[in-house]
Amino acid sequence: MVQYSYFPGCNLKTNAKGFEETAIAVSKKLNAELVEMPNWNCCGTVHTLTSDNIMKRIAPIRVLSRSRKHIETLEESQNQVVTLCSMCNSTLKIVNNEVKKDQEILDKINYQLEEDEETYEPDMEVKHFLEILRDTIGYEKISEKVVNPLEGLKISPYYGCMLLHPEEAKIDDEEMPDVLESLVESLGAELVMSPLFKFCCGSYHIVDQEIIVSSQVEKIVEAAKQRGANALVLACPLCAYNIDQQQKAMAKNTAGKSPIPVFYFTQLMAIAMGEPVKINHFNDHFINPEPLLKELGLIGRKKAK
Amino acid sequence: MSYEYLKFGKEEKDFIAKIEEISGQNIYSCYQCGKCSAGCAFSDKMDRSVSQLIHLIQIGQKEKVLKSNTHWVCSSCLTCTVRCPREIDVAALMEAVREYSLREDYEKVIISEISKEALDKLPNIALVSNFRKKTG
Repeated sequence: MVQYSYFPGCNLKTNAKGFEETAIAVSKKLNAELVEMPNWNCCGTVHTLTSDNIMKRIAPIRVLSRSRKHIETLEESQNQVVTLCSMCNSTLKIVNNEVKKDQEILDKINYQLEEDEETYEPDMEVKHFLEILRDTIGYEKISEKVVNPLEGLKISPYYGCMLLHPEEAKIDDEEMPDVLESLVESLGAELVMSPLFKFCCGSYHIVDQEIIVSSQVEKIVEAAKQRGANALVLACPLCAYNIDQQQKAMAKNTAGKSPIPVFYFTQLMAIAMGEPVKINHFNDHFINPEPLLKELGLIGRKKAK
Repeated sequence: MSYEYLKFGKEEKDFIAKIEEISGQNIYSCYQCGKCSAGCAFSDKMDRSVSQLIHLIQIGQKEKVLKSNTHWVCSSCLTCTVRCPREIDVAALMEAVREYSLREDYEKVIISEISKEALDKLPNIALVSNFRKKTG
């Protein structure tokens, strides 16, 4: 079994438990096990865009340094740390690139890390799980494991910002990505393209300017629905929370809105690969996807018979 | 048509230099094509568009820049940064204006005023990123 050092990030342990559990389950099935690294801390979620603030760059480097130690205990592992959250992915990648280029910043950060008896040699690579699925495992192997093709699901991929921006952290072409599209097709679902696939959901404005988020979410969901989508697939726990929770809030205010459920890409894989439904933690969702899945006969088929 | 006379002295030049220092960008690289504003997902919520704000920085109009809501509406989605034909990190300029104002007055969001209920409900990454962007 190939093993990867896996950095969960905070949300995979709180709002997005279903994302983590399904990812680990499918990773084992695909012979590329995600093994959680010990002793991790928050990566900082957003990369600082300032040029003069080194403080905000320490947390991601500490993560990378600990992951590097973790790899020594794993089987058949390369120097790669794998993330599921797209915000973690982007933050870790950008800072990793910066210290690879700039020895001076690295020295300053290492000086800070000395207190934790850590130092970082910049020889790690940060990978999003989608990159592993596409480049190392391949879609063919994924479709071989599909036992429950997702027929009837019309899925619109929503990338959000952090999978495609900036240049140093993108996992696919920033204007014409196809990694989620290919994955959705390899699981047997119907693909619905929306022009707002990377139209920002409003991100952290949810804390103090909810109105921005609700307006963004309305546009994103409408664009997908108009083209016939009955679900969205994404990779970011913050996009998921915003789109899911705001749709519920909107449905309360406006009559005639029919919300569509939001899936993490690993949840779709788990359903298609016949994993138990409970690892999806659908009860954490605001718009419960179970009625739709039951209607399409994708879950609970045995009970129906 | 009315004209407004603009001052361009030490104060204005200092402001420009500080924004350039924090962002690491050359503000005069911008030739005002407007691509950042055209692709911005939040243009409809800004009182000045991104390129207008950049123009105001170019001419050192500190007060007008800081009074705009543009940089506070920006969510660092980086669409402008990847599209800028002059390869300016436009989002870093927005961050620099936020930082400039936070380094003088460090609380755009007052954490103690957020309800306990909201703190329990919101995802950790929303809170952490919000506080990293909106508190000094």
